[in-house]
Amino acid sequence: MTLLFACIFVPDFSVEAAVRAEPEIRALRQKPVAVLDGSPPLQTVMGLNDRARALGVELGMTKLQAEVCPAMVLRKRSVAQEGAAHAAMLDCANAFSPRAESTASDTVIVDVAGLEHLFGPAAKIARELARHVADVGMEANVAIASNPDCAMHAARGFAGVTVIPPRKEAERLGELPVDVLRPPVHLLETLDRWGVRNLRGLAALPPLAVSERLGQSGLRLQRLARGEEQRTLVPAAEHFRFEESIELEDAVELLEPLSFLLNRLIEQVCARLNARALATNELRLTLELEGHEDVQLHGSTKRIANERPLHERVLKLPVPMQNAKTFLKLLQLDLQQVPPGAPVKRVTLAAEPVRPKVAQEGLFAVASPEPERLELTLARLRNVVGDATGARVGSPQLLDTHRPDAFRMVHFMPPPRGEGAPLMHCAAMPLLAARRIFRPAIPAQVRLREGIPSAVIFREKNAQVVTASGPWRTCGDWWRVEAWSRDEWELTLECDQQVALYRVFRDVKTNHWFVDASYD
Amino acid sequence: MTERPYIELHARSAFSFLEGASQPDELATLAAHFSMPALALLDTDGVYGAARFHLAAKRAGIQAHIGAEVSIQYLVPGTQKKQNQSQEVVRLPVLAESRQGYQNLCRMITRMKLRAGTKTPEAPAFAHELAEFAPGMVCLTGGAEANAPLAAAFERGRKSGGAAGAMEEGRKLLAQLISAFGAKNVYVELQRHFMRKEEAHNQSATALAREFHLPLLATNGVRYAVARERELLDAFTCIRNHTRLDHAGRLLSMNSARHLRAAEEMWRLFRDVPEALHNTVELSSRLEFTLADLGYEFPRYPVPEGETMMSFLRARTMEAARQQYRPLYDRARRQIERELVLIERLELAGYFLIVWDLVRFCREQKILVQGRGSAANSAVCYSLGITAVDPVGMDLLFERFLSEERGEWPDIDLDLPSGDERERVIQYVYRRYGRLGAAMTANVITYRGRSAAREMGKVLGFDDDSVDRLSKLVGSWEWKDPEDTPERQFTQAGFDLRHPRIARFMDLCLRVRDLPRHLGQHSGGMVICQGQLDSVVPLEPASMPGRVVVQWDKDDCTDLGIIKVDLLGLGMMAVLRESIDLIREHHQEEVDIAHLPQEDPAVYKALQQADTIGMFQVESRAQMASLPRNHPENFYDIVVQVALIRPGPIVGKMTNPYMKRRQGKEAVTYPHPSLEPVLERTLGVPLFQEQLLRMAMICANFTGGQAEELRRALGSKRSERRMREIENKLRAGMGQNGIDEKTQDEIVQFITSFALYGFPESHAASFALIAYASAYLKCNYLAAFTAALLNNQPMGFYHPSTLVKNAQRHGLRVLPVDVLQSQWDCTLEKLPTQSFAMRVGLRYVRGLRVEAAHAIVRERELRGFSSVDDLARSVPELRKNDLVMLAQVGALNSVGSAKAQSKLQQMHRRDALWQVERAANPTGPLLSPLEELDKPSPLEPMTSDERLIADFQGIGLTVGPHPMHYRRAGLDQMGILRAADLARFADGDRIRYAGSVITRQRPGTAHGFIFLSMEDESGIANVIITPNLYAKNRMVVMHERFLLIEGVLQHKERVVHIKAEAVKRLNGTEIESPQDFDHAASAHESERNKNVFAVKVPSRDFH
Repeated sequence: MTLLFACIFVPDFSVEAAVRAEPEIRALRQKPVAVLDGSPPLQTVMGLNDRARALGVELGMTKLQAEVCPAMVLRKRSVAQEGAAHAAMLDCANAFSPRAESTASDTVIVDVAGLEHLFGPAAKIARELARHVADVGMEANVAIASNPDCAMHAARGFAGVTVIPPRKEAERLGELPVDVLRPPVHLLETLDRWGVRNLRGLAALPPLAVSERLGQSGLRLQRLARGEEQRTLVPAAEHFRFEESIELEDAVELLEPLSFLLNRLIEQVCARLNARALATNELRLTLELEGHEDVQLHGSTKRIANERPLHERVLKLPVPMQNAKTFLKLLQLDLQQVPPGAPVKRVTLAAEPVRPKVAQEGLFAVASPEPERLELTLARLRNVVGDATGARVGSPQLLDTHRPDAFRMVHFMPPPRGEGAPLMHCAAMPLLAARRIFRPAIPAQVRLREGIPSAVIFREKNAQVVTASGPWRTCGDWWRVEAWSRDEWELTLECDQQVALYRVFRDVKTNHWFVDASYD
Repeated sequence: MTERPYIELHARSAFSFLEGASQPDELATLAAHFSMPALALLDTDGVYGAARFHLAAKRAGIQAHIGAEVSIQYLVPGTQKKQNQSQEVVRLPVLAESRQGYQNLCRMITRMKLRAGTKTPEAPAFAHELAEFAPGMVCLTGGAEANAPLAAAFERGRKSGGAAGAMEEGRKLLAQLISAFGAKNVYVELQRHFMRKEEAHNQSATALAREFHLPLLATNGVRYAVARERELLDAFTCIRNHTRLDHAGRLLSMNSARHLRAAEEMWRLFRDVPEALHNTVELSSRLEFTLADLGYEFPRYPVPEGETMMSFLRARTMEAARQQYRPLYDRARRQIERELVLIERLELAGYFLIVWDLVRFCREQKILVQGRGSAANSAVCYSLGITAVDPVGMDLLFERFLSEERGEWPDIDLDLPSGDERERVIQYVYRRYGRLGAAMTANVITYRGRSAAREMGKVLGFDDDSVDRLSKLVGSWEWKDPEDTPERQFTQAGFDLRHPRIARFMDLCLRVRDLPRHLGQHSGGMVICQGQLDSVVPLEPASMPGRVVVQWDKDDCTDLGIIKVDLLGLGMMAVLRESIDLIREHHQEEVDIAHLPQEDPAVYKALQQADTIGMFQVESRAQMASLPRNHPENFYDIVVQVALIRPGPIVGKMTNPYMKRRQGKEAVTYPHPSLEPVLERTLGVPLFQEQLLRMAMICANFTGGQAEELRRALGSKRSERRMREIENKLRAGMGQNGIDEKTQDEIVQFITSFALYGFPESHAASFALIAYASAYLKCNYLAAFTAALLNNQPMGFYHPSTLVKNAQRHGLRVLPVDVLQSQWDCTLEKLPTQSFAMRVGLRYVRGLRVEAAHAIVRERELRGFSSVDDLARSVPELRKNDLVMLAQVGALNSVGSAKAQSKLQQMHRRDALWQVERAANPTGPLLSPLEELDKPSPLEPMTSDERLIADFQGIGLTVGPHPMHYRRAGLDQMGILRAADLARFADGDRIRYAGSVITRQRPGTAHGFIFLSMEDESGIANVIITPNLYAKNRMVVMHERFLLIEGVLQHKERVVHIKAEAVKRLNGTEIESPQDFDHAASAHESERNKNVFAVKVPSRDFH
């Protein structure tokens, strides 16, 4: 049987990926489209179509420069859309043969040997492939040749459908420019200096001399140019999808029956993980909700055109785990906190497989909680305090700034065993007055005399200032929108014949006063 | 003074390079605004800003105290220096109380700077040196920041022994300071910036002050004039720490409190310690020293016993005068005598002798030297050989150079060949006056548009690409387009100004402009001092070994009355010198620049036809446009020509009247009959500063000195009040002489509009001499002159490729680079016809190092090269890139040519590239001696287009035809003219022209018009682009290398210009001949196809 490979190549892949996600594909194709990458305000063009090119838009331009062109359509790059587009290309290839290689994001090569009986001659296979890809919303070049690389280069070089008969590879590829081989830059420069601009020129060089000058990589390049390079196709590995799903006849409304279903799914997933000696550090729960227009959608629930609304939750675990009970509890707690908001029609649970953690604990290491139990505790805490965003439960991490009390929350992670923080040597600590900070700070009204606080009203109490020390002034982040500036005072306040020391501050930007802390 | 006085005695300026954010002038002005009677400037490790501060304070009417924060490496008394202590450097604030104190400060800084050298940025003094330099200085203890001396001591002590330890270390420090400076000269500093930590420090400091009976001193540790400048300081902090604002964290300031505060505010802050405020006044009154009392003295020249400097100068002058003036006629003798009397009265004999000594050294060393500037007005300078123009013969005005009234040092600038020879003269000065007796003046590098955009962009976290894009777009034309605003530049660079961070970026860029960035070295100014220059101003090592620089720039030195001699490197002097050497070597003729044949007809013919490319001062586009009109016929015409195309005469609207009168289109008139003798030579139009002086002398009875004062008053630093005073005086004088009011107005207008930009006649004459010499050499020894010109690039107005093309049009044969023939420099080769050709030197091969080139020459002289392999083996200095570059430009074509049977068998460039790739790939010791069998390469030779591109890529020029030549057939079909054809058309004709852009210019005086010089194979054409056309085609005009111009010909008075109406990029597709497309099989292919219009023709753009 003769070897036969087809290559699907999508030119301007990032644009195609962005365009196919939109309903007005046809209309959009007729317009100049550019895809932007980077974060504002520094977004630059990373992909564009021919119409955009014709208007003078170039890769690397900023958004503002690209916007200048009339009728320009700008889209933000989406890795997810590109991933989906590539998966769609693979699906098309798989529809023809299971031996499909994911060569690059914009290139898929598929072994089509023997398909002539099913589809007819090679040209027909190629046309069919192109039609399939067009059906999933992309315009591709398809080429068929007797080896994968030859097919790939033909697809990159020739628009539309190309079939290269056996032993005609060198002849047909000869017209293509050298850069379709995507050689390393230094080789491309050398060939350019030599005046070798197309594959025919490269193929014609004496191999021994090429080997002396460009080494093995030069020789390989020459074989590629002649269309002689044979290699084994590396079919895309089957992605172990640890995913289970249940479609329900009647939508589930309550959490308890849902938990029952969840438990079943979790056990299945865990059994499969266990069978492959794997664990997971990420659980992805997708609930398809009953699609009533009047259903109130909130939280992370989103709607895809003409489909049921989805409720997605992702649980990231600090260590790889395999424990079904823990998973169930974690999911229950999470759903209590962020309920789906509509009856559930379909439940899908996916687990990201990772290797389980194997570590022997030190004999003298300070005992720390088990990761599973710790995670459960944290989830319970989040449930109690209502922390859907993760900003209220965790460890505070101080920020390097003069801004008083500036911190952010990070996921609580006990230090690795044996690396616990050293106990503070009490004797070395200077004797300090304890400061009790009010979080949040208590709004107050302050009366001033000659710029110094004389009375403070807070918590419905009117306190007279006995002594005042300050202002202690800090300001910063002036280059950001969230610039801040505050004046702090230490005030001895007398109220109801009681005297206490407080820290009070004025937010200079808003001119509001707050009581920040009290001293013991 | 108010009842609550306060004087700020601890302020830093931006001259603490990246540690302060305001100009000294700004601080001084604000202090005066606060009614502060004095202010002290303490920059870090130097007095960089002191000169400006002193002058600004003088203007503002306050006293300027000078001091510095000196880096001291702290050592506890009695301990030896240990390795781990080397990090602890504190900044000790000191103030100069007396001149001795100031001198000590300068010497201390000089010692530490010179000891550290250029490689170590931190250059601390040692604590044990303090006592040596302390006399005359007062020291403060600094604020609460980590590197302030007392704060550092507290921290050191706290680490080892808690609060008690801190006090103990504080005590040790104070004891040390008292022992070095004396108890009366140590002030314990208190600062309040609304920080808790500072209060704790202040309490401890106050306790120690009481214990040691030391006075307290309130300061604000000023880093900037106003609070808002804290933002710049934060940005500077990031630059210093190589980080960005988002990551700088607590490196940034805590608040904006370190600005200059008014007395009331300080009294509010320090009401609990009034003595600390009173002490500022007490200390200020003690600080007697100001920079007015600098104690600078110009060195004395050593004379033989029995002679005084004056008698020695007189003898040397008269002796030399008899040589120069042959014979020494009476008028010259009288002038010399008059000058000598004045020199004696002003005690300047030493200065003249020192300059004479330098010139004598140059003569001995056969280094070309010529004085320029106003020194050329002096007959003594001419006699001594310092200048080359006879001021008596040319009737120049001595007062422009030296006058009794002015009380300033004269200014003598010496032009020397740039490069090694100038360096030899500089080293001679160092040798003669000692390392601490002479130094270069500094050049303060300030933030300009581009550097501001680059550094501020980085600080705000923009990526390199975005910042580069902006800094390229920041307009740097000489002419500022009112519409070329920063907003527009930012928008063009693709930045959205609506984004707050980008708005902030622009704001910072604008505010940081003109603030000092670091200290550079001025190109030629040298200051010399009697005794020790390091006690006048601190000296620093320069980046060039063996050189030291002072901490002030040339204006600062002039302002403080420090005399300087400018040793300027003039590229053309080097060209003249090198031409003379080449002529001697190849033509066996000796050319003496001082005695060239005058009135050479070839020179004047070239000048009249504006055929002046490569000639000194007369080669610019504007000069070329005026030369045919002025039609110079004698040397004085060249002097006028040099002075005429200058901003002064152009702005003063003197250029056109002169040219019209010269052409007889306008009658020669004079504002007043009495001015006829003064203005006669320049046809009634004042062109030179001397004429302005003489006008004032004749019309208003000014003395020479008063007239010079008038010029200065109207000069760059104008003061309204002074101008009015002088104008009144001028009018009064003219009234006395019976000049009517209308004429007075005219004369005043002449003088005021012109004074700012004028050019001294003497200077023009000196330059005209060099211009004549360059023209003479070009017209008579083209090969030698062109070679010398190419060997001294970059200089002048045109790129080497234009110079080569111009020389070729004049009949010079230019030979390509060849590894078997070329030297490092361009050289001459004798042709069979006995004429000379010029061989392009290896210096033009891009990336080739001088050692590798010398190795090629050395090896080939030993045994030649039989093949590329042989070359690569024999010259291991050649790297692969060098070999590739040599092969690409055809420099290897002749290698192995001895073996070639015929010319056809000679290597082409691709053969050489083929061989190089093998020769440069190491094959291992076994196979390396094997040469490839003499097989031809399988590669096609380069096409002419490819060769052209390779030439421009590899050597920046081509010795083959001009790129336009290759497309002439197509261009002709399109009716596109050649430069040489333009003169055949009449004024007003519509024409099409295409060529490569060789210069772009937007002069400050041309109201936004842009002038392009464009070149093709026949010559050069000049194109005028209107501001409107530029606005529409900005990118094309600025960046395209080949342009197609459609417009109207302006052909008047033998000068041809094209006034463009449309300008397009010439991309070649419309004029390619069809056969070029034969092998273009696919779109890809044609894109990569080499096209002559892809040649990167270099242009010189004057922004």
